[in-house]
Amino acid sequence: MLSSQRNKLLCETGPGTPMGELLRRYWQPIAGVSEFERQDTKAVRIMGEDLVLYRDREGNYGLVDRHCPHRRADLVYGFTEDRGLRCNYHGWLWDHSGACLHQPFEETRHPEGTFKDKVRIKAYPVEAKAGLLWAYLGPQPAPLLPDWDRFYSRGYKQIAISEIPCNWFQCQENSIDPVHFEWLHSNWSMVLRGQDGPRSPTHTRLGFDEFDYGFVYRRVRADTTEDDELWTTGRVCLWPNCLYVGHFEWRVPIDDTSTLSVGWFIDELPGDASFEQQRIPCWHAPVRDEKTGRWIDTHVMNQDYIAWVGQGAIADRTLEHLGESDRGVIMLRKRMFDEMEAVAAGRDPLGTIRDPAVNDRVYLPIVGGLKRPAPSGGPQPFVFLAGQPDEVRSELEQAWQQCAAASAP
Amino acid sequence: MAAVRRRERTVIPAGPPPPPPDAYELAEARGYGLTAGDLQHWYPLSAIEVHWARKHGLSPDAARRWAGEGVGVRDAVRAVRLRVMPAQVRPWAAAGFLPGDAVEAAEAGMTLAEATAWRQAGFILPDAALLVRDGWTLAEATIARFAGVNRYA
Repeated sequence: MLSSQRNKLLCETGPGTPMGELLRRYWQPIAGVSEFERQDTKAVRIMGEDLVLYRDREGNYGLVDRHCPHRRADLVYGFTEDRGLRCNYHGWLWDHSGACLHQPFEETRHPEGTFKDKVRIKAYPVEAKAGLLWAYLGPQPAPLLPDWDRFYSRGYKQIAISEIPCNWFQCQENSIDPVHFEWLHSNWSMVLRGQDGPRSPTHTRLGFDEFDYGFVYRRVRADTTEDDELWTTGRVCLWPNCLYVGHFEWRVPIDDTSTLSVGWFIDELPGDASFEQQRIPCWHAPVRDEKTGRWIDTHVMNQDYIAWVGQGAIADRTLEHLGESDRGVIMLRKRMFDEMEAVAAGRDPLGTIRDPAVNDRVYLPIVGGLKRPAPSGGPQPFVFLAGQPDEVRSELEQAWQQCAAASAP
Repeated sequence: MAAVRRRERTVIPAGPPPPPPDAYELAEARGYGLTAGDLQHWYPLSAIEVHWARKHGLSPDAARRWAGEGVGVRDAVRAVRLRVMPAQVRPWAAAGFLPGDAVEAAEAGMTLAEATAWRQAGFILPDAALLVRDGWTLAEATIARFAGVNRYA
């Protein structure tokens, strides 16, 4: 249970809010690189800020205010040039640093004028990595964009993005809540299949550790012992807004009542022949069944979404009754409060990386290790999200066949 | 499947040397910046605990002492900072709390009697400690907690 004031501290991420200031100290994934194969601009709303993400003809990515500082026209309808994004209303041209490069009529009337040097547009740095576009909305100097070792694993990679109509923090609390898996995913899935049992083995013990990039949660169930990797290695609640269990699930606040779920997935491939993926596809996963209007419940992350949106647009933590299964959730909240205080005191918060020597294939604990065998029997169905496009499935199957053929005797 | 093996917490290696890490365990250890020798030296602590202990200046012997009381390195680091001694967690464990709860309570300035009262009111220790840290009294928290439920009573 929390007071409403403390709850607001965790949930509100707009500019100037304590949590907004904390989350702005980290690079956030906001789109897929492949989304810019068919468009030059994309409207994005991140932590309550309306922005336009674009790629100019020189290949620079920019993230600027949605509205042109001139007369507030919508820059999503601007057009990209060799360098920068030009407003379609009066042609003012902006680059990715926020500088105004051209004001056509002003410069015609006053060739010697310096008006364009006196105006700027809000602009944030963008970097591409692992098929994702990442934005940093915080103060300079920006920390390094984490170079997670998993990004380099051999396999077929894909990105799936969903918009979840609820606050980001209830999504992230799920990242350190081992027991929910037993009920939300195992037992409920059984019920959805029309079965009465047997129920999933119960959790008997939970453990938590801390490391440089977040928490590791560990579990023992009735059918496992402390020899199981889910206890010895555990899974990662990746700081500050991600779950890492071999794949990544970031929960990026769009605003205080909606969250961008960004999933990065990898399928191991057979053999050990080299495999180079030319592009990582990014697709948008639906959350609602168009026929019934109900939330989709067939896939693991969709089930999570149902739990999260069910808690309300912003979970009212003044009404909750926490129990033993919530120790991780409480630990997460406490750490968030501590890190908000650290930022307010001018310190770097947990998990920011500034040393390039450290930021080289950064290790994250993973059950099964990084080099995992491909599943026998061919590529597995995509269990995480509904709506995987046929072409993505087809690409995976082709990659599988290519690797299987290359390693055939 | 290869797996990181359990490192038996109740066995303090006074006699026979600990088992050498296998390749899988070594790969995990390397991820935390550790060597096979580190794992041996810190036995029976896990790689993530060794990493955290070294980062916060907790010695292998101290970490083992805390482990012997059922307190993991994460809580042991906090305990040392709060000047809680390993023996101080025993009354808490005897009262049915997790050993690490003693550290959580110390951080919030709660006594065992206070923690017990909060527990009897239905609050697990970390929840209670966070509420105390936020300035709640048990009476206030109890009223607030059950206000929603009592509306429908």
